[in-house]
Amino acid sequence: MKKNPSVGFYIFLAIFLIFILFPFYYVFLTSIRKPSEIYSSFKIYTLDPTIQSYIHAFTWRPFGRYLYNSFIIAGGTTLLSIIIASFASYATARLKFRGKSILLGVVLGVSMFPQIAIISPMYIFLRDMGLRNTHMGLIIPYITFSLPLAIWYLTTFFKDIPFSLEEAAKIDGASPFQAFFLVIAPLAAPGVFTTAILVFIGAWNEYLFAYTLNTDDYMRTVTVGITMFNSQYTVPWGEISAAAVIVTVPLVIMVLLFQKRIVSGLTSGAVKG
Amino acid sequence: MKRVKYRSIDERNEAITAYLMILPAVLIIALVALWPVLNSFWISMFDLRLNHPSKNKVTLEYKIDLEKFADTQYYIKSIFRQLRASEELNSDPQKVDAIQAEINSIKEELIKQPGIEEKYTQVETLLDNMKPVNDDELRFAVISHDFAEKYLEKVANVRASLEALSLKKDDAASQGASLMEELRTSILEPNYIGLKNYAHFFNELKVKDGKLGRLGKTLLNTLFITVVSVGFELLLGLMIALIINRPYKGRGLTRAAVLVPWAIPTVVSARMWLSLYDGQTGIFAYWLTKLGIIPDAGLLLTTKSGALFSIIFADVWKTTPYLALLLLAGLQGISADLYEAANIDGATRIQQFFKITLPLLKPTIVVSLLFRTLDAFRIFDLIFVLTGGGPGNSTESISIYAYVTMFSQMDFGKGSTLSIMVFLCVTLISIFYIKLLGADVMGNRLEERG
Repeated sequence: MKKNPSVGFYIFLAIFLIFILFPFYYVFLTSIRKPSEIYSSFKIYTLDPTIQSYIHAFTWRPFGRYLYNSFIIAGGTTLLSIIIASFASYATARLKFRGKSILLGVVLGVSMFPQIAIISPMYIFLRDMGLRNTHMGLIIPYITFSLPLAIWYLTTFFKDIPFSLEEAAKIDGASPFQAFFLVIAPLAAPGVFTTAILVFIGAWNEYLFAYTLNTDDYMRTVTVGITMFNSQYTVPWGEISAAAVIVTVPLVIMVLLFQKRIVSGLTSGAVKG
Repeated sequence: MKRVKYRSIDERNEAITAYLMILPAVLIIALVALWPVLNSFWISMFDLRLNHPSKNKVTLEYKIDLEKFADTQYYIKSIFRQLRASEELNSDPQKVDAIQAEINSIKEELIKQPGIEEKYTQVETLLDNMKPVNDDELRFAVISHDFAEKYLEKVANVRASLEALSLKKDDAASQGASLMEELRTSILEPNYIGLKNYAHFFNELKVKDGKLGRLGKTLLNTLFITVVSVGFELLLGLMIALIINRPYKGRGLTRAAVLVPWAIPTVVSARMWLSLYDGQTGIFAYWLTKLGIIPDAGLLLTTKSGALFSIIFADVWKTTPYLALLLLAGLQGISADLYEAANIDGATRIQQFFKITLPLLKPTIVVSLLFRTLDAFRIFDLIFVLTGGGPGNSTESISIYAYVTMFSQMDFGKGSTLSIMVFLCVTLISIFYIKLLGADVMGNRLEERG
């Protein structure tokens, strides 16, 4: 382990970061270019920026509505999964009972289910229930991957809280439920928050269910909406890029704010477990 | 003694509380994940087509299409009028009477079946008013297996008698015989077909006339994309993790940058790369042509090899940073003391890598590979947006094939068969990795967590 990284190291790092970030930069550049410039210039800067594409993104398509739908669906999914998973994870992490590894094995297995394997019965069920083109109609299928994910992450976080606190609560005569709500829940808040971010991102990014189940333009989510910017004669690259930027920016902000938490969540899922 | 007993009750109470707490999660998982998978398997044994009037529901029962049956009755009446009017055909009126009696008995017995009479009257009323029967509940009535068999036997008899009566092509008797085909197809057999859908797809795995079947091609594509992308991602990810595993200025920035491709939706990254690969405006395609790597910018998305490269490149871009992050965390878990001791013993860096880093990193590598392989194998969004499975269907993955079968052709039976195949492949891949990791290690990991 060298203490002071060499110049070579920083050059490597720079190349790596450019490789990751250049596509974002270029898409942003396309989004502020005039249509004529998009088709004529391969320069990596522009001297004539415009916000026309952003205005189009919101007026050509109900892009605001897409964002709203995604927000409600991803938010609802997160809320439901976190509530149900908190109980299950608390029990798994801190109480003694038989069949714990089986439960965790099933949870892990289900979190890896290919979505395509459940889409046909899900589609028929939601159609028969009249839940297609509703928010609830996407929250239900999203629970399939978000609940196992939430249980998996929350169990890790709950395990990291010292056992002595609960013991003390028990000695003072608290029931497991009281111990959970009064002692563990406040301490677990950061872990719960991290899990919520991870689950939210997962639900926000989903495409297959959203594309097949909510086909009414008014009920589309943002991932589906972004693929709807097409015109008959030329490809509206400016508008497509503007839409991509609008979807990316909130995620970038979230990542910048919570990067440490997200990394700890991701790595505890794969490395520790 | 008393204390032990008390403790065991306490523990039992704790277990009961625990079961109560996991109950909602278990129920929901069973309902929204396990039940649908079993249901997919069930559907895969049916000829279920959502756009087909008589096959749009899973059914194990025999049914009769009352609209078709009632409609045919009008034609039968007119045929018999023609038969009786014709001197040649009506040479033996008793014979014609017998045939008509038999055909009437079919209808009489049908009416006697439970619940049919009421429906039949309604259907007839609609037809009399020249209205179509739109209500499937009304149109398709359930009948018993026994009745269906008797019905079909009688229809076949009448058909044979009419054919025997016929003197020349297209006379009334011959037309009557062909009407029996209508009656025969009014009976809908259960659309349960056992493993026929599976047999259909096993055929598509074979090479015929030097060409591999569609599923075979699809599977090869999926495996190729999985192996190449995951391979590159692992090698690059490991390299990056090893290089950045040291203190330096700007770690936070690196971490944030690395997370962004992981955090954005695959669809968005696919859209971004689509604009960079575009033959007219894409800067990536433009650079590749300038560098002389491809002769024409349009080739990236219009040829099979170009499209496969584009898919893999976009996937590597999106996931390598994530893998590097996981491996970095694994590397940071290895104690520095080990390397110091190795240095003192005079081990070279390469020896250290193979004797310390790699063995200790193995569990992290295997677990990350497991996640990545499963993800790559069920690849859908990226291909769907980037190439739509094209050009032709040359870059179709197995998930895309299942999707197209279900939602473009509306063939849910065959589509579910493909999705069950994806499910089985994913299970096999998991078993392979768990073996690789050692079942004990996996078990221990679950226990540790529990």
